[in-house]
Amino acid sequence: MTALRPASAEEAAAALAEATAARATVRLAGGGTRSRAGLPRLADRTLSTAGLRRVVAHEPADLTATVEAGLPALELAALLADRGQCWPQADLRPGSTVGGVLAAAASGRGRLRHGPVRDSLLEVVLATGDGRLVKAGGRTVKGVAGYDIPRLAVGARGTLGLIVQVTLKLWPLPPARGWFAAEGPLAARWELAAGALRGDLLPAAVVLTPGAVHVELAGPSEDVVAPAGMTPAEAPPAPAWPGTALAGVHPPALARALEALERAGLPYEALAGVGVIRVGVEDAAALARVRSIARDAGGHAVVEDGPDELRADPWGPPPAGLEAMRRLRAAFDPAGILNPGDFIGEMAA
Amino acid sequence: MATTTATPAARFRALLDDERVIDRPLELGLYGRDGSIAQGSCGLAVLPETTEEVVACVRLAIELGLKIVPRGSGTGLAGGAVPLEGALVIALARMRRILSVDPAVPCALVEPGVLNLDLSEAVRHLGLHYAPDPSSQAACSIGGNVATNAGGPHCLSAGVTSQHVLGLEMVTADAEVLWLGGTAPDPPGYDLRGFAVGGEGTLGVVTKVLVRLMRTPPAVRTMLLDFSSRRAAGAATGAIIAAGVVPAAMEMMDRLMVGAVEQFVHADLPVDAEAVLLVEVDGSPAEVAAQGAVVERVGGEQGARTVRTARDEAERALFWKARKSAFGAVARIAPNYYLHDCVVPRTRLVEVLERIAEIAAERDLIIMNVFHAGDGNLHPLIAFDRRDAAQVARVHAAGKDIIEACVAVGGVLSGEHGIGLEKRDFMPLTFSPADLDAQARARDALDPEGRLNPEKVLPLGSRCGELVLDAGALPEGTWL
Repeated sequence: MTALRPASAEEAAAALAEATAARATVRLAGGGTRSRAGLPRLADRTLSTAGLRRVVAHEPADLTATVEAGLPALELAALLADRGQCWPQADLRPGSTVGGVLAAAASGRGRLRHGPVRDSLLEVVLATGDGRLVKAGGRTVKGVAGYDIPRLAVGARGTLGLIVQVTLKLWPLPPARGWFAAEGPLAARWELAAGALRGDLLPAAVVLTPGAVHVELAGPSEDVVAPAGMTPAEAPPAPAWPGTALAGVHPPALARALEALERAGLPYEALAGVGVIRVGVEDAAALARVRSIARDAGGHAVVEDGPDELRADPWGPPPAGLEAMRRLRAAFDPAGILNPGDFIGEMAA
Repeated sequence: MATTTATPAARFRALLDDERVIDRPLELGLYGRDGSIAQGSCGLAVLPETTEEVVACVRLAIELGLKIVPRGSGTGLAGGAVPLEGALVIALARMRRILSVDPAVPCALVEPGVLNLDLSEAVRHLGLHYAPDPSSQAACSIGGNVATNAGGPHCLSAGVTSQHVLGLEMVTADAEVLWLGGTAPDPPGYDLRGFAVGGEGTLGVVTKVLVRLMRTPPAVRTMLLDFSSRRAAGAATGAIIAAGVVPAAMEMMDRLMVGAVEQFVHADLPVDAEAVLLVEVDGSPAEVAAQGAVVERVGGEQGARTVRTARDEAERALFWKARKSAFGAVARIAPNYYLHDCVVPRTRLVEVLERIAEIAAERDLIIMNVFHAGDGNLHPLIAFDRRDAAQVARVHAAGKDIIEACVAVGGVLSGEHGIGLEKRDFMPLTFSPADLDAQARARDALDPEGRLNPEKVLPLGSRCGELVLDAGALPEGTWL
């Protein structure tokens, strides 16, 4: 398999134009931390963003940063922290790149207060499947000029184009932050979670796991004190399962879904107030169980991470607008060379 | 029935009541305009009341080969709702029910014609509000807000419309009904919901909107800072953000605007100040105390002469009334105005304000400023008299100068009003031919036949609409 490692946007675009001409499929690779998703498919070539890792601009007073996609997300976080800033919507894992986080729409626990990572992308430069360099959005913190292609690119898993460069909207780091936790039966944990969501200070995160509830508070130090019934704690550990289903449910139906997951004996991490549940799944039967529970709670579930066997049907029932998605895909990647297996329209085909 | 010979109006009357199909010239004249300076021509306007009626209208438009322009309240300032060449206007103003409110999410399902302020009023008793608050909020509709991805003063920390739309129902160009998004986060596939918001009526006719509501914060503090120079006020804006505070809102008014507004609302505003900042912080009582202290300290360091805190809700309401009546107040200066909307990086605010003052002097015009300083979203307002043809020509020239000045410092063409017709031909200032081609292809993916609101947003070889500052008085009540 040919391995490509462009050192500039132009080189990336040229490599993709050449691949389209050769009808060769290309696997786009960031840090590889979220690559076990989509349909298991092989590609003819790989293209790594490791050579695209420049910080183009960081304007602390503007609360914006423009960086290349291959920049490791934790490197960016460290750079921002030096100036008292952060990218609070992103799920920052060791090894992840900025482009990879965005391509996977990998929102972190902080989305309760700051929203999904999709809301942080101001401008994007894409190298399309046929090798065009396309810029959309704008570098200012607000802008409505033209169609919202940045929002399409986030979560497209590279199937609309390689994310080459992005401008992100940043936030000030909170003056103080801390995690607090309690244990107990689900009903009691749900009550604590609901109480935290009703508090004067909107929490940064409210995380439910089997047996525990964790709340992260971020704000002035007077506000970062243990809520009633909770004590200071470490952040809950990142889940590590053989396979992870990612469910989105109607937020008020979350407790019902968790009850069903506990009955089924499935491990989970849920974000109260948001409606996101990550569930540990080992086989297709468990995945089907999660999908059924999510559907009963007004939502859906996809395979976020898992071995090939788990990814025969990674997305579940097709969403509305699949035809429009197919046409969008064709508009950006006419030969369909990018990331085989990562476009939802491949399932029904 | 001899449908082949019936007029289009008669065909639509077979679908809707007589009075909901508009073909009288006087009324069509009104539907030929919006809150902008653009003049179009409306062939026929229809007022459906249900999604099914919208579908039926779109189907018939397809059969008759009519172009379709969706319309909300018609308060848009970029000409997005202006029909061209006799297009069919589908006005959603009759679809104005709040279908449900779910305080547990919290969210509301509304029809597109619901007025922005009516929604916030309807959920106030639940301790909730809808965050985007354009100054036109008493008149503009949620559907129109979705089309333009509208903003408002309180979008500084809360974000613009796209961050507050959880889902929407739209009728596509081929009359299919699509439900996009919902309360469950991150549905699989591309984010068509996010793509549709800000589509300016070119991607579908939005027939229902599921909006996110926000809890009204337990504490709020609203401050008025006055400065003896615009430069100092601009610097204070950047310094407050750089000090780690993103206020709920941070608005600037210059001396001309403060003077006009004071005569209008009598809020005891500092009329001798060169610039005034209206800063609001909200959140928990401790957050408000901490952030309020930073605003006061940094404001003082940057030269604020006084920091006046609203004593109570009544005074806070008065401050906001002053801000939001700015455009009504301009009538005291000149009979007409042309309002612009550009965004510049916050760090370039001061130099762009100075440049706008130079442009006013060079073009011999009165330009006033009232804008969302916190996000660098400028709203230079050019006051003029449309009966003075030479002045009108200078207004057009100054508008172009302002746009070019903003783009020169890395700005964008619109912060919240949209591109519509007004800015369409400026798009190449910030986008390359490849960028614009990609946008055109993305649009075609949703509307392959180019049926919905054609000739908007993206530049054409030829200009079909006309921007005419002298075509008549602006419709009553136009705001940003």
